[in-house]
Amino acid sequence: MLTLFRALFSPPRHMILLVIATWIGLSLAEKRAERHGVGRDDLNNIIFYSLTAFVIGGRISFVLQNLSAFMKSPVGIVSINPDLFDPLGGIGFVFIAALIFGQARGLSFWHTLDALTPFFAVLAIGLGLSHLAAGTSFGKETGLPWGINLWNATRHPTQLYETLASLLTFILLRLKKHDPRPGILFLTFAAFTSGLQLFIQAFRADSILIFNGYRQGQVIAWIALVLIFILFEYRLKEKI
Amino acid sequence: MNKTQRITQYALILIAGALWIAHSVDKSGVSTSGKISAPQAGFAAPNFSLQTLDGVSYTLADLRGQAVLVNLWATWCPPCRAEMPAIEKMYEEYKGQGFIVLAVNMTYQDDPLKVEPFAKEYNLTFPILLEGTGNVASAYQLQSLPSSFFIDRNGVISEVVIGGPMSEVLLRTRIEKILK
Repeated sequence: MLTLFRALFSPPRHMILLVIATWIGLSLAEKRAERHGVGRDDLNNIIFYSLTAFVIGGRISFVLQNLSAFMKSPVGIVSINPDLFDPLGGIGFVFIAALIFGQARGLSFWHTLDALTPFFAVLAIGLGLSHLAAGTSFGKETGLPWGINLWNATRHPTQLYETLASLLTFILLRLKKHDPRPGILFLTFAAFTSGLQLFIQAFRADSILIFNGYRQGQVIAWIALVLIFILFEYRLKEKI
Repeated sequence: MNKTQRITQYALILIAGALWIAHSVDKSGVSTSGKISAPQAGFAAPNFSLQTLDGVSYTLADLRGQAVLVNLWATWCPPCRAEMPAIEKMYEEYKGQGFIVLAVNMTYQDDPLKVEPFAKEYNLTFPILLEGTGNVASAYQLQSLPSSFFIDRNGVISEVVIGGPMSEVLLRTRIEKILK
């Protein structure tokens, strides 16, 4: 079953899973947007501009990091090849585009994040499935019965852990009683995601290691949790 | 839940998180360390020995110390054909710095008689190896053609590009990385 799934969506087709997740997430977010005081059009537009910024920003960031190579082959700047891309740079551009659009449309920061939370939650599930299809974010070797055979070893199915954790987060958010205080829904999603990433990273075999073996992903997730808890207190002060 | 209870809860979660981080420290260094061979970035490139059209033998492991591009291709594959001029150009430009291309023709699913005319048509000067058994395709878990594996001087795969055609700039960025 797993082999069939990986064969169906192996690279470069694994990107299809992210496109499907984007579509489902956007549909779900649209349905509940007005509950958070955000219009459907505004929600669609902010996602459209953010995705555009992601694609263009990711390329710009990649070009800037490889300027000498692009100076020799400048036509490559407009190449349709998806491998000439820096996802982190793209995310940076998403923040800028979303902030500019939100300011221009007078959208509330926290209400908008709440409205977008179903989109983020489904995207996280899609990302886990995409990692499974591509065989990236792979786990350490294990003798556990649920280990999967990947890259010539039996490994922790960290991509499945990631997918199931994201699915669990999505279900919990759907079942959670609506809190009228803006930001609480998004911060709950962020806390769950950071906490679960902190836990799952321990089973990964491809972690970036810092400071004598500490896993960068875990350290970032822990710092994110501290910030999320501070923001929780800040948001809870708001009178309903 | 009042504020004190919440703060206590936050503190407990953060302490548990810090302990888990400490517990999961990886003392062995980079987790894959290029020790196991697998066709994925971070792993040692699976070794193979193949011959060129002229009968010259190449073993990947013998090329340790050089930056290697292993390109799996076939004459009937349009993107494989489309990327060959760019690969040839990059080979000419970087071979003096220790870069080599091993263009592995999937002969077991190609017409061997078409390989030589193809190399002449595109003026290819890098080694073209014939893969008549499917063993290399299996070791590299070939899923689609072309597939390219950028291997650093230590024999570790730095990047995998599945599909094509690869543009000149894509090749240049990857080659400069494995030459470092």
